Formats: sequence, structure tokens, C-alpha cells
Amino acid sequence: MAVRLKVKNAETGATVEMELEVENTIDEVIESAATFWSKDMGAYVLRRGKKVLRGGSSLEDAGVVANDVLELIPDPEGG
Amino acid sequence: MDRDRYDRSRRIPWLDMDSVFRSGVLIVGAGALGNEVAKNLALSGFRKMTIVDMDKVVGSNLNRCLFFTDDDVRRGSQKAEAVARGVRAISADAEPRAFVGRIEDFPEAEFRGHDVVLGCLDSIEARVHVNLRAYSRGITYIDGGIEGLLGKVVVVVPPEGACLQCGMNRTHARVAELRFSCTGKDVVMHTPRLPAEITTTSVVAAIMVREALKVVSSRPDMLLKNGFLYDGQRNVSEEIEIPLDPSCPVHSKH
Repeated sequence: MAVRLKVKNAETGATVEMELEVENTIDEVIESAATFWSKDMGAYVLRRGKKVLRGGSSLEDAGVVANDVLELIPDPEGG
Repeated sequence: MDRDRYDRSRRIPWLDMDSVFRSGVLIVGAGALGNEVAKNLALSGFRKMTIVDMDKVVGSNLNRCLFFTDDDVRRGSQKAEAVARGVRAISADAEPRAFVGRIEDFPEAEFRGHDVVLGCLDSIEARVHVNLRAYSRGITYIDGGIEGLLGKVVVVVPPEGACLQCGMNRTHARVAELRFSCTGKDVVMHTPRLPAEITTTSVVAAIMVREALKVVSSRPDMLLKNGFLYDGQRNVSEEIEIPLDPSCPVHSKH
């Protein structure tokens, strides 16, 4: 089953619409969005509301539904 | 009253200063975050600290590290020792101990004797290592990360809570793999220098130490649950939640 959702780039505020299958994983969404925005190599997380989504989860298991807005956030690595 | 160094701290009702004086803190990483964290801990009354870092002070550290000086650069001082010296300079009661080496070489048994671990690291592999060590010993781990004007703090409370690794995904694994394949273990090559400045570092270090104060004051009800994001460009901050991942290796090993 296909699901349309938006991913927001936390750094720029830009959004991209994606049409995905419910079997797609959060990891795949992260990588697609990072590639779309030509993000630097680095760690990123995807969140819905306040909750960070588990990379290996399918969209279905993560509870993602049509028209959700997910946010791509860099995971700061430096110290 | 004004002779008591901690008079103002004692006026904070939930703060258990006796526990602060007694508690042991492990600071892993003595870079920008490690400097700020150590300063905040010392001024807050913590006395027993172990500071771990393998690196020497270089000139480019000086825009964000309180305890490093040009003299440290000239002499090639070890970061852990320079921070320990700095802590002694601002708190006569403090008993900082420096461990010069990789955290992977820090004896496992020495994690015991610390009531809280503060991660001030700059690599995913080291974070994963510390997260596992602290979790398996039931020690609260507070991890800080910075990149330019972005900052993050995660509070890991075993044995029930999610851990740092629960919030990692394939992008973290790719970064760790690439660094490992480029470097062997000890020599860092092809690693982009991350942007870093003091204001974001100060914010993140302040949150980390405030959470440590809550831990040793036995106020788990006040702790972050379980992450904090800071964006200094837009001046926004918020709590985030990292859910426990039952398939996370830390929880299956634990």
C-alpha cells in the first residue's frame, strides 16, 4: 500500500513529498531525503513530533500514516 | 553566609550538596565539551572526577576550551591533564584524575566508583562503547553532541530506559564503518573537521551538568525524557523522545 508523506529538512525548513510503500523503512526514508538534499556524509535521525523513529522499522510499524510530516535532523557528532 | 562557597547552591531546594560532594563523575573526552562540563561540575561542587582523553592540545582548540592555553600548545600538553589542572585551579576541594588514553583502554572495572558518566566525545564508535559500558553497570550516561550551532543531549537511565544506541540507525553505522575502514583504529584520516564554537558548547554542557546534578540529587523525576535538541541558529530548543528499541544490541546483551 502506498503512502504519501512530507519530509522536512530541519536545517533549511525545505520540504519534499515522498510516495512510499508502508513496507519501506525509516532508514530508507532518511537515506532518500539525505540524498535528495545532497547532505554531507553524517548521521541523521527522522522524527515525527517529539519521537525519534527507529531506523529499521517499516513505516507501518512506526505508525506513519498518509500526510504525516517527518523531520530530518542532523545528529551532532562533535564534542 | 557569604563565606560559604556553596551558599547560593544550597538555596536550591532539590539540590543535595552532600551528595554532589561525594559523587564520582567520569568525563569522557576533554575537548570543547569536556572543558565546559568540567568547569560546570567543579563550580557546582563536584569533587571526584576522572577525565579521559587520548589527545594533545593544539592551537585550533583555543577558540572554545577554557582550560587550554598557548603554553599548553607549545608544550604539547595532554588534554586530560590540562583539564585536571584547570579544575584544581578553580576548586581547591576538587580531586580530578586524568587518564591519558582511549576510552576503549580505560579499565572496565574503573567505571565502578562513578555515579554518572558524561560523554563529551567526537565519534560514534566511542559513544557506542561508553553507552554499553555505563548501561551494563547501571550507571546513568549523559551524552552531549555539538556541530556548529546544533546541539543535543541524551540522558540514558538503566536498567529501564532507552539507550543511546536505540536512537541510532544506518547512517550512524555508515559513518562508523567509513571511519573505521579509513583509519584502522588509531589514526583519523578523511574525517571532516566538524564546525565548533563556544556558545553552543556552553549551552549543551550546561544542560549535561544540570542533568548530572539531578541524578546525584536522586531526582529522576526531573530528568530529561530522554533527549534535548538545541538549534542556536533559530534559538529554539525542545525535548525529544528516543524510544527503547528491543532489538538494540545493548538491550539484548544486557
